[in-house]
Amino acid sequence: MFFRLLFESFRRQKRRKSIALLAIALGMSIATAMIAVGTDVGDKINEDMRRNGGNLIVTPVEDTLDVNIGGVDLKPASEGAFIAESELPKMKGTFWGHNIRGFVPSLSSPETVLIGTREFKADLIGTYFAQRMKYGKEEFTTGARTVNGWWKVEGNWPQDYAEWPQNQPPEALAGNKLAETAGLRVGDEVAIQGRKLRISGILNTGGAEDQAIVAPLHIVQQILGEPGRVRRVVVSALTKPEDAFARRDPGRMSPADRDRWYCSPYANSIAFQIAEAIPNVRVEQIRQVEQNQGKILSRIAGMMLLLTLAALLASGLAVSAAMAATILERRHEVGLMKSLGASNGTVASLFLTEAGFLALAGGIIGFLAGAALAHRIGQTVFGSAITVQPVVLAVVIIAAFVVTFVGSAGAVRKAMQFDPAVVLRGDA
Amino acid sequence: MSRGQLLLRLLFRAAWVRKDRALTALISVAVVATIATAALTVYYDLENKLSREFRSFGANVVVTARRGALRTDEIGAIHSSMGKRGAVVPVAYAVASGPGGTKVVIGGTDLNALRELNSWWSIRSLASGRDGALIGSRAAESFSRSGEKFLIHFETKTVEIQPSAVFNSGSDDDSRIYIPLTTFADLTGIQPNIALVRVDGRPREIQETIARLSAGLPNSEVQPVRQITRAQTAVVGKTRSVVLAASLVVLALIMLSMIATFTSSILERRKDFAVMKALGASNRTVNFLFAAEASFLALAGAAAGYVLGSGMAFWIGKANFQAAILPQPALILPVLLGSVALALIASAAPLRILQQIQPAGILRGE
Repeated sequence: MFFRLLFESFRRQKRRKSIALLAIALGMSIATAMIAVGTDVGDKINEDMRRNGGNLIVTPVEDTLDVNIGGVDLKPASEGAFIAESELPKMKGTFWGHNIRGFVPSLSSPETVLIGTREFKADLIGTYFAQRMKYGKEEFTTGARTVNGWWKVEGNWPQDYAEWPQNQPPEALAGNKLAETAGLRVGDEVAIQGRKLRISGILNTGGAEDQAIVAPLHIVQQILGEPGRVRRVVVSALTKPEDAFARRDPGRMSPADRDRWYCSPYANSIAFQIAEAIPNVRVEQIRQVEQNQGKILSRIAGMMLLLTLAALLASGLAVSAAMAATILERRHEVGLMKSLGASNGTVASLFLTEAGFLALAGGIIGFLAGAALAHRIGQTVFGSAITVQPVVLAVVIIAAFVVTFVGSAGAVRKAMQFDPAVVLRGDA
Repeated sequence: MSRGQLLLRLLFRAAWVRKDRALTALISVAVVATIATAALTVYYDLENKLSREFRSFGANVVVTARRGALRTDEIGAIHSSMGKRGAVVPVAYAVASGPGGTKVVIGGTDLNALRELNSWWSIRSLASGRDGALIGSRAAESFSRSGEKFLIHFETKTVEIQPSAVFNSGSDDDSRIYIPLTTFADLTGIQPNIALVRVDGRPREIQETIARLSAGLPNSEVQPVRQITRAQTAVVGKTRSVVLAASLVVLALIMLSMIATFTSSILERRKDFAVMKALGASNRTVNFLFAAEASFLALAGAAAGYVLGSGMAFWIGKANFQAAILPQPALILPVLLGSVALALIASAAPLRILQQIQPAGILRGE
């Protein structure tokens, strides 16, 4: 009998039920979309910031002091210590190796550049542009093109080959200021220590590289006579904003805390792991980037959280109001059931079971629609999909039950307070 | 009783007698207006609020004299083209030699201003007060492991350095020593040729200021620190778009939900509708009455929503950015008119359905 009532109620009141279902589904898709966007926006913006440069710097422990003013290196390449290039891929094997988006090694030295018949003083910088690398079975490509997003090249990026065909000089980039003063153009040839380089593009970085020649690392190593060596490496890693826990000294943590610290992608724990993997290096966070971006990210995440809460509250209210309206409309039914001898408990359980079915269906439909919307937002704003965690489905269905029941319970109680006789006469 | 009085009476009694039903409709409109106001108010102010956070990145523009030092009037020109906001820290650099002849870059500047600009430096103060030198962590490792004094030579002159703090920045600065400008000038005779400039404002305002700086300083090079300006543009822009997109989605959905609730609350009143028709009201009168009621509810709901939404935005600003997001008076009219329009749209469809049914049929309960 109970199930028959339930079934018939859905069959005969298609309009009312579909309005209630629509309200629940709409409310829950808001919840899904906002939760998904709100939880993912931090990661997305983090990735965006990582496209604008590295956040960790690796230098040799034994190195002498940097002597550079306004980005012009005054320390000759022969001085100071180096990092072995062959050790670099080991970064990918660290605990948080997958969070390392890329790294850019560099080796530079002030050199005399022969352009035509004139001589110019300029830094020669060797680096990766888009170097293919291998660590274990993993193959990856890394270099300035992916890490230094603000580098702009007019012309072509050079190839990273080590062995250039004899008849063809290796390619290099010329900084735009150097190119301007020396009258260099794409396709021209320059010579450094007797080695010819062909300018494949003009580089504009807004920094010291604008006055330098930037060439593939392996060519610069050959020119400077420092095979297999790099001076410093800038690493771009996806990190978790530093919190009070991350600021504690890992040396004084309890073993359990230390494990937790080691297994969290804080900038300093990733730095620690890189220093473990590569011998004789010092790894530091570039504090200007790392410290400040954490603040910005937490602000954005906080704002999205508050907006999400506001939207959840609103959708909860809307769903509750809609449920209350559909039940209040059915006073007559309540009156009829009660005059036929139904107890308050029976009436309430019938209505709440109905509400439960609506909540379940509305929650699932809303979740699917909300996930699709979140996906669209991710594609349009960030160009990459926002993934909806499966746990959101559980949250959304529970939320659907809560708001539907809250909306229904009040209305059912109200409907039961009326005298059946009065309701049936149509006076209430 | 005049027609006008009757109309008013009908409106108020309709809302009063069925308080719960009127309340449902009112809530549904208020929810839409609240979310619209809150989301749009936050969106309008977001660029300002987020850009403010980017001040902590420090200098985003570097001005370098092409030849010689920056003149006082040039530094004044930098100040004036930025208005009263931002910071300007002139710095002079030279290569000196430390103990054992090690080459080291020394900088002369206003040390307090430099510390304020580079707020992300992790600074370890030594006991000897603030008027001594600021030593980069790597320089400190080489010259002054426990904060002891040491000598710096420049050409024929020598100065004793008393470290007051050691800083760590993770950049080239870690190899440098910063001393007060007067000490620096006495030692080297060099005046500042570089100014570290922090331009405040939204990405577009920063671009404009950079353009003004370049135009006003023909003898200097004005270089934006592109990592920072680009990150700011990207982050602020993307965050705004995501807030806008999410708000639009939420608004669209919640409007749909409101229309559904509103429609059903009108359909529920088919008996009132039929009674009025049976008593001889024309379709126009009935439509007018229902529309007036809907607009009345929508106006009340929207006004409440505007106040609630502005409060919500204010609170979001306080809680998240430690600065209030003020209500946008420009939003009042769109929110009120939009809500009324929505309510009318939501009423139109059910009224048309009701008009097609005979009053007798409705009264009989069909």
